[in-house]
Amino acid sequence: MTFRTMNPLRRLARSDSAGKAAVTPRRIYILPTGFGVLFALLLMLMLLGSINYANNLGFMLTFLLAGLGLVAMLHTWRNLVGLELGSGRAAPVFAGEDARFEIELSNRRRWSRPGIQLQIRGRAPVTTDLNPVATEVLTLTVGSTRRGRLPLPRFTLSTRYPLGLFNAWVYVELDAICLVFPKPGKRMPESPAPEYGQSQMGDRGVGADDFAGLRHYRPGDSPRHINWKALAREQGLQTKLFGGDRAEKCWLDWYNLAGDSEQRLSRLCRGVLDASAQDIQFGLKLPECELKPARGQRHRLECLTALALFGESG
Amino acid sequence: MNSPSRTPLPRLQQYALIALLTLTALPHVLNIDFRISAFFLVLVGYRTLAVEKTALLPNRLLLFLITLGALGMVMMRYPILFGRDAGVALLIAMLALKLIEMRVRRDVHILVFIGYFMLATQFLYRDQIWLVGYAMVLVAALTAMLVESSRNAPSVSLFRSMGVSLLLLSQALPVMILLFIFFPRFSSPLWHLAADTDHAVIGVSGNISPGSISHLSRSSAVAFRVDFEGEIPPPEQRYWRGPVFWFTDGVNWRVDKDDDLAAAELISLGPTIAYNVTLEPTPGSWLYALELAVDIPGDSQLRSDYQLIRNTPIKQRIRYRVGSVIDYRSGALGMAERQKGLQLPPGITPRMLDLVTRWQQQSDSDAELVLKALDYFRQQEFYYTLYPPPLGENPPDQFLFDTRRGFCEHYATSFTLLMRIAGIPSRVVGGYQGGQINPLGKYLIVRQSDAHAWAEVWLRGKGWQRIDPTIAVAPERIEQSIDPTLISDVIGAPIRFIEVKGGVLGSALRQLRWGADAINASWHRWVLGYSKERQLYLMQLLGIGFMHGPKLAYGMVAITGLCVILLSLILLYRVRVKRDPVYAVYLSFCRRLQRRGIVRMAHEGPRDFASRVIAAHPELRNRVARITGLYIGIRYGQLDNKPNRRQFKRLVRRFNP
Repeated sequence: MTFRTMNPLRRLARSDSAGKAAVTPRRIYILPTGFGVLFALLLMLMLLGSINYANNLGFMLTFLLAGLGLVAMLHTWRNLVGLELGSGRAAPVFAGEDARFEIELSNRRRWSRPGIQLQIRGRAPVTTDLNPVATEVLTLTVGSTRRGRLPLPRFTLSTRYPLGLFNAWVYVELDAICLVFPKPGKRMPESPAPEYGQSQMGDRGVGADDFAGLRHYRPGDSPRHINWKALAREQGLQTKLFGGDRAEKCWLDWYNLAGDSEQRLSRLCRGVLDASAQDIQFGLKLPECELKPARGQRHRLECLTALALFGESG
Repeated sequence: MNSPSRTPLPRLQQYALIALLTLTALPHVLNIDFRISAFFLVLVGYRTLAVEKTALLPNRLLLFLITLGALGMVMMRYPILFGRDAGVALLIAMLALKLIEMRVRRDVHILVFIGYFMLATQFLYRDQIWLVGYAMVLVAALTAMLVESSRNAPSVSLFRSMGVSLLLLSQALPVMILLFIFFPRFSSPLWHLAADTDHAVIGVSGNISPGSISHLSRSSAVAFRVDFEGEIPPPEQRYWRGPVFWFTDGVNWRVDKDDDLAAAELISLGPTIAYNVTLEPTPGSWLYALELAVDIPGDSQLRSDYQLIRNTPIKQRIRYRVGSVIDYRSGALGMAERQKGLQLPPGITPRMLDLVTRWQQQSDSDAELVLKALDYFRQQEFYYTLYPPPLGENPPDQFLFDTRRGFCEHYATSFTLLMRIAGIPSRVVGGYQGGQINPLGKYLIVRQSDAHAWAEVWLRGKGWQRIDPTIAVAPERIEQSIDPTLISDVIGAPIRFIEVKGGVLGSALRQLRWGADAINASWHRWVLGYSKERQLYLMQLLGIGFMHGPKLAYGMVAITGLCVILLSLILLYRVRVKRDPVYAVYLSFCRRLQRRGIVRMAHEGPRDFASRVIAAHPELRNRVARITGLYIGIRYGQLDNKPNRRQFKRLVRRFNP
C-alpha cells in the first residue's frame, strides 16, 4: 500500500506471514493526556508550596506522586507491550453497509490488561479489559462506499491504564480484507430470450402463467389470487395456485443492460439476489467471464464475488 | 462519539469518592473556621443522598447559587483570601462544589487531584507520623480510584484496584526516597506569606507574667532536643537560657528590644561544652543554649545580656550547634545596664520596703542579702504549684504576703523585685530547665513542661550570678521533671514530680515511651528536620560532598532517571515476548513457502494450509505433509520431545521449495 512508504518514520505494528501483529516496545508511542499535564501542574504547585514552607512532608508527598507519575508511564507502556493482534473474519457486505472486521486480541501474559481501546480514525472506539492469558475478539466497523476489496484501514490500539495520565498507542496495520458487493440496483428486465428446459420440480407453486390448483388461504397470499367465487359460494377462503413458469434457467446478462458499468453491476447484483431468493437456476454473463447456471448459496456467493471484483485484477 | 470518559460514574465509586475526599479534608476541621467545615459537611451529606436519588442533583442555577454561597462564606471569614488558612478554606469549598457536580467518569481525575492537594495542605498544620500514615492510606485509595476509572468496565471489586495502586506506589517509593534526599533544599522561603500567624506555636515568649510559664507547663510538647558531643551535664546545670526580662510594670515583665550592645566581656572558668539543638518552632527568635553560649551559630547574635537571638523568626524546626560554658565571670556593669537593672514599677508597698530594710540591716554585703531573701522563701509557708490562686490588683505584694502559692515565674519575678528594692541590679531570665535523657537515643528531650524562669543578680566582684528562688521552695523541681500527666487540677495542690517507679509494667511502659520518642526523634532529625545543612552533611557522609547547588539538581535528575530506567528494564524483562521456538520454526517454513508465492492466510490452520499447498504443488506433497504432521504432533499432540524438535528443525532448514 502506498502510504506505508509515505511516512517512513512512523512505526507500525504490521502483520507477519502468519497474519499476526505483535506490539514490540519500540513501536509504542506515549504522551501525557490532558489530565497528565494537569497532574504535572499540580505537582509543580505542591513543590513550590513545599519549598516555600520548607515542609519536608510536603516534599515527601510531592515526590511520591512524582514517582507515581513516572511509574504510571512505564505501566501504561507495559499495558501494550507484548499484545498480539490478528485479523479474524470479515463477512462480505453490500456497498453502503458497514463492514465489520473482527480483530483478535491476545494477551499471553499472566497479568490482565484493562483499558484497551481500538479505534479507526473518525469512528467510535471499541473497548475491552483483557484478562490474563486470554484472547478476545473485537469488531471494528468501517463504512463501505464502493464495491470491491475493502482493506482494513490502519487503526490505533491505545490505553490510558493505569492512571489515565498517559496515553500509549500503536499504529496497527493488519492484512484483512472485506469483500464489498455492489449495491443492489433496480430490478432486472425480463430476459428477452428465456431458455426453457425440463423441470424436475414440477409446476407447483411458482410462476404466474398457468392455473395449477387451489389450496387453503395462508396469511400473506396475494388478494389477487384469492378465489372470490369460491368465497361467494361459502367454501371458505381459497387461494388459486399458478405454475408453469418454464423459464427456470435464466441468464443475467451484462449486455442486456444499459448504463455505465457500475449501474449494470448494481442491477446484476439485484438480479442475483432475486433469482437466488426464488431459487431459480441462473447464470451470469460478464464481459470477462461467464458463470454457468446453477443454484444454491455457493453459486450465489461466486456470482456476487465476480460482480464485486469486476474489473479488478486478481 | 460516545466517549468512555462521559459514561456515568457507578454508584459504588461515587460513594467511595465522597468518603475518601471527606477523609482527606477531615483533619482540617480543627484548623479552619468551623462554619466552613459545617458548610462542607452539609454539602457532602446532601451529595451522599443524591447518589440514590439523582433527582436531587442540582441544576445549573442551583449550582451557581451554591458556588456564590461558598465563595461568600470564605470571603466573610478570610476577606483578603491570602495565606495558608484562606487557601485551605477555598480548597475545601472547591472540593465541596466539585463533589456536588460529580457525574461522569472524567470528574474522577479532578476530584482525586484535589484530594492529593488537600493531603499536602494537611502537612502545613501537623507533622506527626500518624498523619503521614493516614495520608499514605488515602493516597493509595485515591490512586485506586484513578485505576478503577481508567478501566473500561468496573472491576470485580474495588480492592483489586487498590492492589494495583499499592503496587504502583511501592514502585514509586524508591523514586520518592531519591528525590527526597537529592532535591536541593533552600534555606529561606521563596516568599513570605504575611497573613500567616503562628497561633499554634507555644513556648517561652518575650513577655512573662504570673501564669504564663505555668500555662506552658501543662503541655508535654517537645520544645527541643539536644545531642551532646560529650557527656550530658547533670540536671542542676541544665539551665537553657532564653529571653532576659528587664522592664516591669509590676505584673508583666518584658525584654529590652532596643538593646543593640554586643556581648559583654566574659571570663570563662571551665571547659566549653558543645552540642546540637533541634528546636521546634517557637514564638520569637531565641535560640536556647545551655547557661552561656560562647560559640554561636552563624545566623544569630549574642546580646549584651547573653540572649542568643536568631536573625530570622523560628517558624520551622531548625537545628544548630552551640558551645557553652557553665563557669564564667561577667565583666563590669555599665551605667545604662545598672539603670535598667534597678528599674522599679509603681505599687511598691510599705510592707515590701519593710521586709527589704530588715534584710539590709541584718546583712553586711549584697551576697548575704541574697541569701537572706532565699531563706525567706524557704522558711515561710511558700508552696510551689501550677494552679496558684488568683491575684488581685498588686500581684507581687499579694503573692509575697498573702497567697504564697505560685509557680517559678512568681518566685523569680518577686525575688527580682525585692533585689531591686534593695539596690542590687537584677533581671529575670526565661527558658527551660532540666530535660529528660532518652536512654535509647542518647539525647536530651526538653519539653514545654520544663519551661522555667529564674533570676540573675549582679554582685560586685562576681558579676552576674544566677539565683533560682524556686530551689528554695521546691528543690526537687531542679532534680526531676514535672510529669504533665500527673498534674492535678486542684488549686494550690502541690506538684508531683516524675519518679522512677518499680514494677515490670511500669518499666515496660517507660521503655515503650522511650522507644516511641526515639522513633519520633529520628523522624524529626531525618525526615522533618532534613535541611540544607543536613543534606550537605549527608552528601559528605556519602563521599559526594562536592554535590551542592545546581550540581545536586543534575545529580538528582541523573540518579532518578537511572532508577526509572532500571525499573523499566525490570518491567521489560518480565514482558519480553517469548515466542515458542517450535512456532518460530514453523513460521520460517511458512516464509519459505511464501517465496514460492503461497501465502498462509491469517485464519488458516496448519492442516488447511498444508492441503492447499499440496493441491497447488503436488510435487511438495511428501515434505509438506511430513513437516506439518510433525509440527501438529509436537505442538498439539504427544510428540513433543527433543529428537522430534531437532528433526523438525532440520526438515524445515532443508526445505527450500
